[in-house]
Amino acid sequence: MNEESRIKQDRFMQRIADRLGRPRLTEKPPHPHKGAPPDWRRFSLDREERIALFSENWQKAGGHVVRVPDLEAAKTYIAQKAKELGAYAIIRQNQPELNALDWQQALPEAEIVVWHSEQQKDLLRYAAGADIGITMAEYGIAYTGSLVCTSSGNQGRSVSLLPAVVMAILPAERIATRMGEVLAHFDGRPRAQFPAGIHFISGPSRSADIENDLTIGVHGPGVVFALIVG
Amino acid sequence: MRSAEPRTVQERARQALSDEFLRNAVKFTTERLRAGKQTASQEHGNWEEWRERARQIRLHTIAHLDYYLQEFVENARANGVQVHFADTAEEAAALTMDIAKQCGARSVVKSKSMVSEELHINQALQAGGVEAVETDLGEYIIQLANEPPSHIIIPAIHKNRYQIAELLSKEAGEELPPDTTALAGFVRRKLREKFLEADIGMTGCNFAIAESGSIVLFENEGNARMVTTVPRTQITLMGMERIIPTWDDLEVMATLLPRSATGQKLTVYMSGISGPRRAEDRDGPEQMHLIIVDNGRSLQLGDPHFQELLNCIRCGACLNACPVYRHIGGHAYGSTYSGPIGAVLKPALNKNVAEWDDIANASSLCGACYEACPVKIPLHDMLVYLRQRKVEQGVQSGEEKAGMKGFRYVMSSHKRYGRALRWGRVMQKLLLRDGVIKARIGPLKGWNQHRHTSPLPNKSFREGWQALERDIQRERTEMDEQIRERLHRHLNEREKGGVGDE
Repeated sequence: MNEESRIKQDRFMQRIADRLGRPRLTEKPPHPHKGAPPDWRRFSLDREERIALFSENWQKAGGHVVRVPDLEAAKTYIAQKAKELGAYAIIRQNQPELNALDWQQALPEAEIVVWHSEQQKDLLRYAAGADIGITMAEYGIAYTGSLVCTSSGNQGRSVSLLPAVVMAILPAERIATRMGEVLAHFDGRPRAQFPAGIHFISGPSRSADIENDLTIGVHGPGVVFALIVG
Repeated sequence: MRSAEPRTVQERARQALSDEFLRNAVKFTTERLRAGKQTASQEHGNWEEWRERARQIRLHTIAHLDYYLQEFVENARANGVQVHFADTAEEAAALTMDIAKQCGARSVVKSKSMVSEELHINQALQAGGVEAVETDLGEYIIQLANEPPSHIIIPAIHKNRYQIAELLSKEAGEELPPDTTALAGFVRRKLREKFLEADIGMTGCNFAIAESGSIVLFENEGNARMVTTVPRTQITLMGMERIIPTWDDLEVMATLLPRSATGQKLTVYMSGISGPRRAEDRDGPEQMHLIIVDNGRSLQLGDPHFQELLNCIRCGACLNACPVYRHIGGHAYGSTYSGPIGAVLKPALNKNVAEWDDIANASSLCGACYEACPVKIPLHDMLVYLRQRKVEQGVQSGEEKAGMKGFRYVMSSHKRYGRALRWGRVMQKLLLRDGVIKARIGPLKGWNQHRHTSPLPNKSFREGWQALERDIQRERTEMDEQIRERLHRHLNEREKGGVGDE
C-alpha cells in the first residue's frame, strides 16, 4: 500500500502543478500574510485583565470559575466539591503539580486512579465511568476563554473528556491574551516533543441540534471547573 | 436515500414551501446564526481586515498547493500517519473498505464530516457489512431518519422534537418524552457504548497544518474528540484543499470559522491531531490513516473564475444569509452541499454540464453570500459564470433559447421595439383586470402565481423622452438663475462678516 501511495502522491502533486500552469514547486514560497494582522499581535492585557476576561468568557460558555491562592487550596476545593457531588471514581493526570498534593488524605473514601503508561487498569474504561477528571491546563487564552491540554503517557486525552465532571487547574501566569501566543509554542516545535493531541477546551460539551435548544454535556463533560491559581 | 425524489430544484422547493414547520425552523435557525455572526464579528472588530487576511492566506495556500500539500504529507508520514490518495469518491470508498477489512472492523463511529457525505462513505461501509454510526447529535438523528443533512452546521434543522422523540424511541425500544434533555441524555448513553465498541473512528478535517502534518477539528459536542481518542484505528477524510501553512495561520481561521458559523468565539473543542498515539500514550488511535480526496477539486485549479472556490472553509454563513436558502432549506438543493456554496460547488465538482441540474438557477444573485463569506468568495459572480457556461455549451431549455432569440430580435432595432410595444399595449387589453394582469399564462405563469403584473404604460419612456428632455433643459436654466442669485447673496454676506449658514 505504501509504495502505491507514493506513486499516487507524485501524480497528485504533478496534476496540481499542471493545473496551475507551472512546474512543481520545491522551494518554500515566501508567505507575507502569515498569521493574524500585525495590529492584533500588539494587543496585550495585563494579568488581572487576562484573568477577568478568561473568567467572563468561560462562565458565558457555561463553565464555572473559582480563584484560589495556591495549589493546596485548589485541592481542598476539589475535595469539597467531590464530597458534595458524592463522587467515588476519580481519575487524574500524572503531573508533578498534582503529584505534590496529598489526594488520598483529602478524599479518603474515593478511588483515585492516576493516568500513566504503566497503570494496570483499563484506563479508557475507567475514565469513561469516572465521576471526576482532574488535570492541569498547560495554557489559558483570555480572549476566547479556552484551556489548552496536551496528550502524553502521563496525560490522557480521556481525563478531560470522558468523566461527567472535569476540574482543570490553571495557574494564572499561564493565561495568555491571544490564541496566537499559545500557538507560537507549537509553531516549529521539533517532532520528538510534539504531542499527538493538542486540545483547546472552551466550556462544557454542548449542542443545539434539537430545535435550537441548547443542551449541555452531550458527549463530553457537562460540568467543567476552571480553578485559577494565583 | 429517499425514493421518488422530486427531480428539479423547483419541485423540491415547492415541497419545502408547503411544509410550514420546515419553513419556520429554517427561518428561525438561520436568523439565530446570522444574528450570532453579526454580534460576534462586531464584537471582534476590524472584521474586514480579518476577512482580507483570511482570504490572502487561502489564496496564497491554493496558489502554492503542490508545495504545501507535499510538505503536509511528508510531515504527516513522519508523524506515523499512513497517507492515501483518492482521485474519486469511489476510490476513497474503496480505500476506506480496504482499511476496514485490514483491521477486521465491524463498526465505525464517525464525527460530522461534509466530505464523507460527499463521498457517500456510510453507504459503502454498510454495503461492505460494516456498521457506520454518526455521532454528532444532529447527524445521528438524520441517520436514523435516513435523510441527508439540510444545513452544513445544523444538519437536523428540519426535524422537530416530536419527530426526533419518535425516531429515538424506536431506537431505545421504549417511549422517550419529547424533551431535549431526555433525548440528548439517551443519545449520550447509547453512543457511549458505540464509542467503546467501535474498531474505527472516522473524522473529516477542518484544517491541515503543513508545517507539522497536523489535522485540526472544530466541534462543540466532544464526539470528534471521542472518535479520535477511543477506537484503535482512525481514518481521516480530507479534501485536498484543506491546507494552511502554519499554526500561526490557524489563529486567523479559528477567529473567523466559529464566529461565522455560530457566532461563538471558539467552538467548545478545537483539537490538533498530529499522528497516532506515541509509544507511551494510553489513549488515541494506534493506527492513523489519512485519505486525501480530489473528487473534482483540481478542476477548479487554474480556472480564473472558480479557483477561489477552494478557499471555502465550510462555515455555512452564506446559507444563513441567502434569501433563497432561508425560504426553501437545504434539501431543495438536492446535493450534499446546499445554499449558495452548494449551488456553485455541485456544478463545479462535476464537469458534465448536462448533469448540473437547475441548481445554479436557485439564486437571486443579490450578493448577500459574498458579504457574509469570511474568505470573500464571489459566489454570486460564479453563479453567473455557471449560467454562462451552460448556455455556451448549449444546455438550455427550448423556451429560454427562443425567449433570448426573440429578445435579441426585438431589442436590436428601435423600429421593431416600438412596434412590439404598440402591439403589446393593444393585446394586453384582453388580459387587464382591475388595472393589472392576473392571467397565469406563458412566461407570466410563475410570477403571477404570487403577484400581479403591471400593464405597459400608455407612453413608453422612449416615446416620452423628447418632451422630457425639453423640460429638463428649461428647468436647468431656471434653476441656474436661482442658484446664482443665492450664491451671490451668500458671498456678499460673508464679505460683510456675517454667518454664511441659513
